[in-house]
This record gives sequence, structure tokens and C-alpha cells, in this order.
Amino acid sequence: MTENNNKIPFNEDNYTHNINRNNERKLDRRGFMKTLVGAAGVFAISSLPWGATAAKELMGLGDKEYPHKKITDLKSIGVGDAVDFAFPGEHDSAILIRLSDEKFVAYQNACTHLRCPVFWDKKEEEMICPCHHGKFDVQTGSPIAGPPRRPLPEIQVKVDKGAVYAVRVKRYET
Amino acid sequence: MKREYISVAILCAILMLNIIFTQYMVHQYFYEHYANTIISGAMNILLFPAAIFVYKRDQKMQKGMKSHE
Ligand code: FES
Repeated sequence: MTENNNKIPFNEDNYTHNINRNNERKLDRRGFMKTLVGAAGVFAISSLPWGATAAKELMGLGDKEYPHKKITDLKSIGVGDAVDFAFPGEHDSAILIRLSDEKFVAYQNACTHLRCPVFWDKKEEEMICPCHHGKFDVQTGSPIAGPPRRPLPEIQVKVDKGAVYAVRVKRYET
Repeated sequence: MKREYISVAILCAILMLNIIFTQYMVHQYFYEHYANTIISGAMNILLFPAAIFVYKRDQKMQKGMKSHE
């Protein structure tokens, strides 16, 4: 082919004399490797926000105290009853259960499976998720049946002057 | 294995590891194991320079092979 290029005019024995395919496969391979490297880059960059939020969770938010919030009056919740409330945000629905005269427990009641609201079954003494029959232990919030695998986040409560207040949200155990 | 395919194989392995680490990272995040999340995220980030290194090395090897021909 190189001899042809030097002869003007050269023999037009075919019409593809100016198509050079010698390096085509090499370029392909190189492009493929570039794509792989690029994919690694995309993976690396997309890991950044996950790492950042994880680090934030680990250090900052750890044990944040929210402004105390009144849930209900002592009089209006009998032993074995439950009330729904929202804590710490307006949309973080939660449930307070009175287990005995003294003992109150509260959890964020979005099921740790797919976030259906968990309710308190007084007869069974269990917290039940209606969506896929997940059950939670009322003492600890840990899952005891069904699809949920993580405990419900516990909310610390405080009884003060005839009313129940929500104080803070406990971290999940890791 | 032919020598010129080793780099490609390594890069494919890196991509595979990327996928595994990403999957692990996301899962550990939702399981609230944040330290594990950070570790696998860091592995993902470290794999990128490794991939660049493999690519560069391969490019050099290719050039070397050509000049020997
Ligand atoms: S959402 Fe609660 S069990 Fe599925």
C-alpha cells in the first residue's frame, strides 16, 4: 500500500486503497480500556457523597438533643395505651406507649422495613407493622418477626409535671 | 494468557470490585454501619488511581512492544 501512495496516478485496482485498517483493533482495545478507567472514575466520584454522609452521621449528629416536646398529659394516657406524635421533625411520626405507671417507651414508628407506620397491639403486647406483619419488641424496639431487620429508633422520654416530653432520639446500635 | 490481555483483565477485575464495593457501601449505609460505609467508599476511590495506573502501564507496554517489532 505504501508503494502505491508514491506513484501518481497509481493503479486503481480497488476503491479502498485509502482505508487503513491496520490499527483499528488496537484503537478498539484502547477505547475499551479508557471506558473501564472512566467507569472506575464514576464509581469513585459517586462514592463520595455516601462517605461524606456516613462520616457526618458518625461524628456530628451522634447524640443531638432536640428541643423538648410535649407529647401528652399523664392523665390522658392510661397504662397499656399508646399515642402517636411527631418527633423530632413534623413528619417523623412516632409512638408513645405506657407500659406501666412509671414506664414509658417511645419509638419512631416508621417500620424499618418499608416505613409503614407501626402500631401498638394492646392485647398481644407487641408493636405490629400492618404492611408485611413485621413485629417489634416493645421493650427494646428490636424486630422479632417479619421482614424488618433493624430496631426502631428509640426516643427518650421524660415525665415532668404531669406531662410526657420527648427528649432525644437514641442512635441505632451498630 | 497473552500478555496484552492482562491489563484488560485487571481493569475488568477493578470494575467488578467497584461494583462489589458500591453494593456493600450502600447496604452498610442503610444498616447504619457507617465505618464500613466509609471504608468501602475509600476502596472505591482508591481503585480509580489504580485503574489509571494500569492503563498507563499498559500504554507504555504497548509502545515498547511496537518498537521491538
Ligand atoms: S413495612 Fe413494615 S413489615 Fe414491611
